[in-house]
Amino acid sequence: MKVTISRFDPVTGEQPHFVEYNVSVNKATRILNVLDAVRDTIDPTFAYRHCCRGGQCGSCAVRVNGEPVLACMQEAHEGDVIEPLDLPRIRDLVTDIAPIMAQIAWMNGGSTCPEVTQESIEEIKPLRECIECYSCISSCPAISASDYKGPTIMRQEQRLNLDSRDNADRIVEAIDKGLFSCTTCRKCVEVCPKKIDTPRKAIEKLRAEAVKRGLSLPAHKALASLIEKTGRSVERKEPTFLEQVADVIEPEGEVRATVGFFVGCMFNGRVTQPALDAMEVLRQNGIRVIIPKDQVCCGSPLIKTGFMGFIPELQKRNIDAFVKTGVDTVMTMCAGCGATLKNDYDTPFRVVDITELLCELGFKAPSKVEGTYTYHDPCHLLRGQGISKQPRILLDSVAEKFVEMPARCCGAGGGVKSGQPEEAAKIGAVRAEMVKKTGADCIVTVCPFCEFHLHQVTGLPVKNIATLMLEGYRK
Amino acid sequence: MGIENTTDCHVLVIGSGGAGIRAAVEAENYGETIIVSKTITGKGGCTVMAEGGINAVLKNTDSIQTHFEDTMSGGAYLNDETLVRTLTSEAPDRIRDLFTWGAVFDLGEDNCIAQRPFGGQRCARTCFSGDHTGHEIVMTLLEKLRSSSVTIENEVTVLDLLSDGEKINGAITCDREGNLGLITADAVILATGGAGQVYDTTTNSTAGTGDGYALGYRAGAQLIDMEQVQFHPTGAVIPYDSRGRLITEAVRGEGGILKNVLGERFMEKYDPKRMDLSTRDVISRSIATEVLEGRGTEHGGVWLDVSHLPREQIESRLPIMLNQFLQFGVDIRTQPMEVAPTAHHFMGGLKITPDTLTTVPHLFAAGEVAGGVHGANRLGGNALAETQVFGRRAGISAGKCEKTTKNIDNQQIKAAEEKLNLFYKGTAKSAEVRRSMKTIMWNNVGIYRNELDLRVAERGIEKLQNTQLKISSPRELSDAVITENMLLVAHLVIEGALLRRESRGAHTRTDVKQTWTNADSPYGHTFFVKGKSGIEILEDKL
Repeated sequence: MKVTISRFDPVTGEQPHFVEYNVSVNKATRILNVLDAVRDTIDPTFAYRHCCRGGQCGSCAVRVNGEPVLACMQEAHEGDVIEPLDLPRIRDLVTDIAPIMAQIAWMNGGSTCPEVTQESIEEIKPLRECIECYSCISSCPAISASDYKGPTIMRQEQRLNLDSRDNADRIVEAIDKGLFSCTTCRKCVEVCPKKIDTPRKAIEKLRAEAVKRGLSLPAHKALASLIEKTGRSVERKEPTFLEQVADVIEPEGEVRATVGFFVGCMFNGRVTQPALDAMEVLRQNGIRVIIPKDQVCCGSPLIKTGFMGFIPELQKRNIDAFVKTGVDTVMTMCAGCGATLKNDYDTPFRVVDITELLCELGFKAPSKVEGTYTYHDPCHLLRGQGISKQPRILLDSVAEKFVEMPARCCGAGGGVKSGQPEEAAKIGAVRAEMVKKTGADCIVTVCPFCEFHLHQVTGLPVKNIATLMLEGYRK
Repeated sequence: MGIENTTDCHVLVIGSGGAGIRAAVEAENYGETIIVSKTITGKGGCTVMAEGGINAVLKNTDSIQTHFEDTMSGGAYLNDETLVRTLTSEAPDRIRDLFTWGAVFDLGEDNCIAQRPFGGQRCARTCFSGDHTGHEIVMTLLEKLRSSSVTIENEVTVLDLLSDGEKINGAITCDREGNLGLITADAVILATGGAGQVYDTTTNSTAGTGDGYALGYRAGAQLIDMEQVQFHPTGAVIPYDSRGRLITEAVRGEGGILKNVLGERFMEKYDPKRMDLSTRDVISRSIATEVLEGRGTEHGGVWLDVSHLPREQIESRLPIMLNQFLQFGVDIRTQPMEVAPTAHHFMGGLKITPDTLTTVPHLFAAGEVAGGVHGANRLGGNALAETQVFGRRAGISAGKCEKTTKNIDNQQIKAAEEKLNLFYKGTAKSAEVRRSMKTIMWNNVGIYRNELDLRVAERGIEKLQNTQLKISSPRELSDAVITENMLLVAHLVIEGALLRRESRGAHTRTDVKQTWTNADSPYGHTFFVKGKSGIEILEDKL
């Protein structure tokens, strides 16, 4: 099997470089066995960490083809490129993890043990499975853009916060370690070998407690009171989408489907055109759209920033609004709203993203539109809803030239853009570089927050997929 | 070469599994403590991999006496009784320590620590945290360690112990780059774990190379019962590179059943009373017999099945098993696991007193590196208990050693350096030597043993020992020393297996017919001390 390994030896003064190795291995071999083969048969000084060989000690995390994995659990394939985690490097695949370990909080217990319940144990357990492999630290976009200490550090803060045996103030400590820096992009969950849901089970929970104690950011407080007052996270400055459209938009020709449309605050109040474009795309595809006017903010900005008090009210109003219409499917076109309705609501109807809906029903092929396009995966669509193929199918059908770009958070989510705009700009700058590398002259995405932010950081036009499709239809 | 770094401390702990960390946090109360680990602290030992649980008597329906009797009987009465008394009577308090320090053990409906049944025990006595109990314990201990003032030295290998002629007073170390160092100490604790890695197929982490046995032996300490190697009955069989990976006993504790390729519950033949929860030695032999007699799977294993259990029980109680098997394409909720015995635990090791003192002054040993607690077969759940009970005792005993000025014997250091220099003139590659050793041990010193095979192994290992290992960079130094350690351990296992002319616990001699039962065997411990080895004859049982 041929693999490429990144080698680095500070003693030689040489820069890190890739070396190709050809080793013989057994069937269904793991990356670790490949590394062993390189050390045992080619270079005994090759440095990498390993220990338990069973995915339990977290020593052997490396990046394979760019993504963090445990070498002992990941099956090796011809042509794999193996690199260290994106952490300060010592030699070859060995990184300096000591500074991270020093940030992991420990229990501040007493000499006696207060009562602990199985209920609290069950709550702590999911946060306790961390094997300290630091894959999450390696891939978190917020760390280099702020003083954020990283996902597993927050996981541990909440693990201790939940424990009656701990006597320290973990909320203040978490804020100190950058609690408000997380964009909730969920990259940490994706790369975690134990799939620990740090954003939902630690970040959101810690933020909620910070809110209760009045420790949240001023911008977040302002946003929360706006939502409570108006039901919307965006102030009304001009006629909104809901004010402009009919209650029902009848399609052209045969009715192939009927869906409710959940518009979301950004498309309703700040950038209405993409939503209007989407209505036209659906109309041309035989989809009847029902738009209840009493729908309100989905609550995503509140959940992400920890203002949980108003959530049941929003949930009820939105669910009632759509139940009244009798639809069995509600469509979103904002990644954040979609993820919230799917993951934080218990809806009696199905929620689908516009790209999901069009691919499922089949869509009228648009004419090709000139230009080079790249696609930005909104985190809340890719990891929040598991949708990556459908937008690409649509884009492929309409773009004259489509260039792929690896997914990475743009920095706009999780209340970071409103709460810590400098950090959002820094994360955005990294994304802008990646966009530049593709050579694209237009970015396409399916999230109004990403759309808005990417335009700011790249200066390039950013289009919603619906807008681009409509351009194709109009040709 | 040459030693540049010298550090001094009161207590030096070598090894960072459950016993090592427990010892360090206790020793700290008495003076400056350093813990060195050849891996990242907490990641190296087998504790972090231990899945099933930790034994302690916590309920009124159970008793210390029952735990004592189960352990003695499970250990084929080769156990050191006073060590077993210590283990069983102190385990409950050590569980309480862990719980007070934040361990996330599963609790029962009454919010008391839950316990599950394990093999060879008359009471559900095994406390657990899902199927990652060891990980939970290490995380708890790590938090305790991080909150302490103990100095943590990661990725530092101890090459040899130092002595002033009367007592141990430090160690020569080697870092990742091959730089030598010296740590002087008033007392040294060995907590280096076992040596499953001398076998081809093992549950042990790659750090399970038995360095502590070799360090102790070279320093003149006595070892006992090195032939007593537990083969865990249920190791993974496929894929080939994952062979030996532990399938926790908790699988059977939760109700998993063993079947041969004909679908028969073969344990009915071997131990109809205890069935799938018989002791590990009995089950391993039963599986080996089934396979030898042609009733095994195509990969030489048997089936372990939990598919009759409720899905939720598998998901909540055995999540690691479920996920590991899913990664290898098997859904244990609907499909059986293919399993076969795998080298797991060394019951033998350094001879210790209940205060963990070895036969060499100021050298202590705790955890798997020590011998005598488990006799000829260890009960599941007793190893984690051992790490906590004896780890704490080692910390206290070492901590109480007198603080003195340390006299460094420069001759010893010079001799060590000269020995290390020989590696540059060697011929044998470490990786190749290890591979040969593992094969020899697996083929000839496994579950069923006889003199003929053991002699083959003896010659094979001697041949490997007589070939000078070769390195070309200081970075390979620790690896070479560890290989030598492994060969020494392999040698001691074979020697013990030849000395013990009886079948007892995990050690089965097919070429010896015996008339005695475990309880009235005329043999005591095998023992090994530099230049001398033998087996105790118990005159009153002759």
